[in-house]
Amino acid sequence: MVTLQQLVFKLSEFWASRGCLLQQPLDIEMGAGTMHPETFLRVLGPDQWNVAYVQPARRPADGRFGENPNRLFKHQQFQVLLKPAPDEAQQLYLQSLEACGIDPRAHDIRFEEDNWESPTLGAWGIGWQVLFDGQEITQFTYFQQAGGLDLSPVSVELTYGIERLAMALQDVADVYDLEWGAGVKYRDVRHRDEVEQSKYAFGQIAMPAAGLHALHRNLFDEYYRLSETLVASDLVLPALDYCLKCSHMFNLLDASGGIGVSERMAYILRVRRLAVAIAKHWVGVEPDAPAAAPNDNG
Amino acid sequence: MDRELLIEIGVEELPALWLPGLTRQMAERTEFRLRELRIAPGAAVESFATPRRLTVRIGKIAERQEDLEETITGPPVSAAFKDGQPTAAALGFAKKQGVEFDQLTRQQTPKGEYLAFLKRQRGRSALDALPDLMTALLRDLAFPKQMNWDARLEDGKGNLVFGRPIRWLLFLYGGRVVPFTIGRAPGAIGPQVQEVQSAALTYGHRFLATSGRAGRSIKVRSFDEYQARLSEHFVVLAHSERRDRIGRELENHARRLGARVQLKEHSALMDEVADLVEFPGVVAGFFDRSFLDLPHEVLTTTLLHHQHWFPVVSDDGKLKEAFLAVVNTQPQDERVIAKNAERVVAARLRDAKFFWEADRKVPLESRLERLHTVLFHKKLGSYRDKAERIEKLARWIASDMFGQPAAADDAARAARLAKADLTTDMVFEFPELQGIMGGVYAREQGEPEQVWKAIYHQYLPIGAEPDAPPTREQLGPAAITWAAVSLADKLDTLVGLTSAGEKVTGSRDPFALRRNAQGAIRILLDLPELTGIKLELPLAPLVARTLEVYGRSGTTTNEYPAFLYERLLSVMTQRGAPIEVVRAVVSPADAERAVDWNRSPLRARRVADALQAMRSSEDFQALAILFKRVKNIAKELKQDAVLDRGALVEPAERALLDEIDRRRLVIEHAAAASDYRRAFAEIASLRAPIDRFFTEVFVMAEDSQLRTARLKLMADLRDLILHFADISEIVPTTE
Repeated sequence: MVTLQQLVFKLSEFWASRGCLLQQPLDIEMGAGTMHPETFLRVLGPDQWNVAYVQPARRPADGRFGENPNRLFKHQQFQVLLKPAPDEAQQLYLQSLEACGIDPRAHDIRFEEDNWESPTLGAWGIGWQVLFDGQEITQFTYFQQAGGLDLSPVSVELTYGIERLAMALQDVADVYDLEWGAGVKYRDVRHRDEVEQSKYAFGQIAMPAAGLHALHRNLFDEYYRLSETLVASDLVLPALDYCLKCSHMFNLLDASGGIGVSERMAYILRVRRLAVAIAKHWVGVEPDAPAAAPNDNG
Repeated sequence: MDRELLIEIGVEELPALWLPGLTRQMAERTEFRLRELRIAPGAAVESFATPRRLTVRIGKIAERQEDLEETITGPPVSAAFKDGQPTAAALGFAKKQGVEFDQLTRQQTPKGEYLAFLKRQRGRSALDALPDLMTALLRDLAFPKQMNWDARLEDGKGNLVFGRPIRWLLFLYGGRVVPFTIGRAPGAIGPQVQEVQSAALTYGHRFLATSGRAGRSIKVRSFDEYQARLSEHFVVLAHSERRDRIGRELENHARRLGARVQLKEHSALMDEVADLVEFPGVVAGFFDRSFLDLPHEVLTTTLLHHQHWFPVVSDDGKLKEAFLAVVNTQPQDERVIAKNAERVVAARLRDAKFFWEADRKVPLESRLERLHTVLFHKKLGSYRDKAERIEKLARWIASDMFGQPAAADDAARAARLAKADLTTDMVFEFPELQGIMGGVYAREQGEPEQVWKAIYHQYLPIGAEPDAPPTREQLGPAAITWAAVSLADKLDTLVGLTSAGEKVTGSRDPFALRRNAQGAIRILLDLPELTGIKLELPLAPLVARTLEVYGRSGTTTNEYPAFLYERLLSVMTQRGAPIEVVRAVVSPADAERAVDWNRSPLRARRVADALQAMRSSEDFQALAILFKRVKNIAKELKQDAVLDRGALVEPAERALLDEIDRRRLVIEHAAAASDYRRAFAEIASLRAPIDRFFTEVFVMAEDSQLRTARLKLMADLRDLILHFADISEIVPTTE
């Protein structure tokens, strides 16, 4: 039996032995490990970078009050970024599965088209969802753009869904039945968090919905202003922190039905504007200059 | 001696839906580029694709390029010499061709004598020329979406984008490797990122190997060897073979379950799964019987659309609690895979069940409020607004257009609730079930069949064929309400978006206006079969009423006739009516006649059927030719006039006039009864008098009163026939 924490050890060990730095999660709420500066910023510019880390990902709309065996307000991603993307990226990935105890010959492992896109980050890539006997366990992406900038060299990002992978390894049907450490279940560690976070995300709190919406909107605006100021002060990393805060506020507003359709697009564009400015500052491109194309792939 | 050409581009997994197109492109582009290189293929060009390889093979190609000989024309001789010496222009031409002046020749042309250079280029050996083929092929292949993977070619164009990264290149001519290199971007190249060099190597299945580790390179010298070694290494090269294997395995597995798998219904999925794998196998899995309580639409969508897995049915056609998954392996123990697959299905079905139970707690009526938040179009408001419009429109269509006031309330109610399912969790999760889920939820909350089925089928018809769903049987008592709702929704979308300035241009049709127009036309075209209503309903009042509901009555409707004419033409020809018959019946809606605009698609269909049945008769053929003359000469009538009967005196013209008078009433009666064969038969019998008229009467008489009367007779005759069809369109082209 591979416990959840052993899985993290094995993946960490595997990727460290392949030259990755082991980083820590960012201490700020985010929807995906991609938003961590170790990915979002490191994919930009010419420098090589190989890194791996666990990142808790918060998706308020996926909260299910601890009642759904598959969906979580917060799940864990094991994130690997390899820059430039090695020719052997797929083989390395498959070796990492073997290192976790999976025999690829006994299973049906497939790379099925699934291109990744994050409108709020101005980022997209080409790649696959890796299906393990029909279950998606990893998103595998060759980054093409981030912060609206074309990328070269191209990075590859591997995002393992730790819970999904562990469920397959432990052969359990309910995420809360996962063995986190010896004798300790996922339920013992996380269930209360899921219940309470879901209640908050869906507005089941001692405040009318309109009040909560207004609060979130206000926080969004404050964080937005702060992030803008930080970008203007050329402080890219703090600016990204507050850009992520905005993104999380937007996700909360969205989950609790606090924004209409047309407004939704406007929020996305605002976060994107920050992300693009941050990316440009990171690589030293004038934020007001038209996006330069560092390569000729049109 | 001619030798074999074999190319395999080894790639990371390409999307399944791209493979059919890429297989074609590989053959087409290879052949095109070879011919351009003057290397003639001496055998058929064969191409293959799996997710990890694009292969092309030609049994024989020439060993050398053909020599090139071409004459390049220079300046005229008259300008080439001055005082017996070559001019600067003449010397410049020689220099440009890279030769001495005395190597030039002269060439006689109709414009005079010119300097010329006879350029001879000896063909290179195939081995030397083929790298150019690879460069062109790699540049030519087009992908729905391409990626940068830090690759470059030394052809001056730099970066090489492709569908997925290329990992190996098998490139053989007559068993020898054709040297070729794909370079890598300077910022990426290093120990982990290397050039791709052509070699005599391929790779087998990612995971399966007969001995040793999978994924080692395999040396090959010829296509036969290539195919044989691939098959030993668990790769079935040909799509058709993979597909056949899948079909057989699915049927075997279904039989073992005492069930059937509906391969014909799932033909598109069969094609797709065959391109998702290199070595297909099938695994059977099961789910809890209690999930069979879910609507079968939800069950099959979960399996088919989300997992690419096949549902199985028992002999009575009912879904069973099992599914068949196509996998990229033939596992020793199916259960290892099946157990995981079952967990995926159970999770999805549990979600679906959750939505199914949650959604039903909120009646459709009370969902209308939430429709405010779902945008239809920024200039046209939300789906709530749309629901209100189509409610009005459907009521009017049922009562006023269909003449079925008894169905009006149900049609209006169905239209009002039609979009409510857009706010359900189920449709949010399974967007392809919109409409269908609305119908199912309406049924669950006790709406009558007339209402829930109208909602369920509202998005149909999508295809053009007369037997495209829905059928009368599927619709049952909801036929009339369905037709009203479906028409209302399509017209609302078509008219609304058109007036909001969303134009259809070429292949750009983001709001599917063509499909909406085609759907509306199909309903009117098949109205009797679908609903039992025999009326020939025109589009014009429907569009006018839709504009009125939008509060834009009086707006010009000029943009619609041409667009709708084109769709009607397209539907009728797709159904197999000969194009000339359709053109005869569905005339371009010019401003003067606006024929199809004010007439009904159903009438067009019936007239076309009659015309098709009558056209081969001798009288009709002759009449069609005569009609051309009638049309031409009638154009001479510059001012409309009342027919001056008294002026017509010649026996031939009196005879024609009498004949027209006698037939006109019969023709009109036949038309009123939609008996267009009868109408055409009557028209055909005008052949003899018309023929006689043209033989004996000179239309363009000196006397203007007489001339006008004869022209008017021709114009009346023209209009009588044009009322049905421009039969000059069906004149045989040999005439």
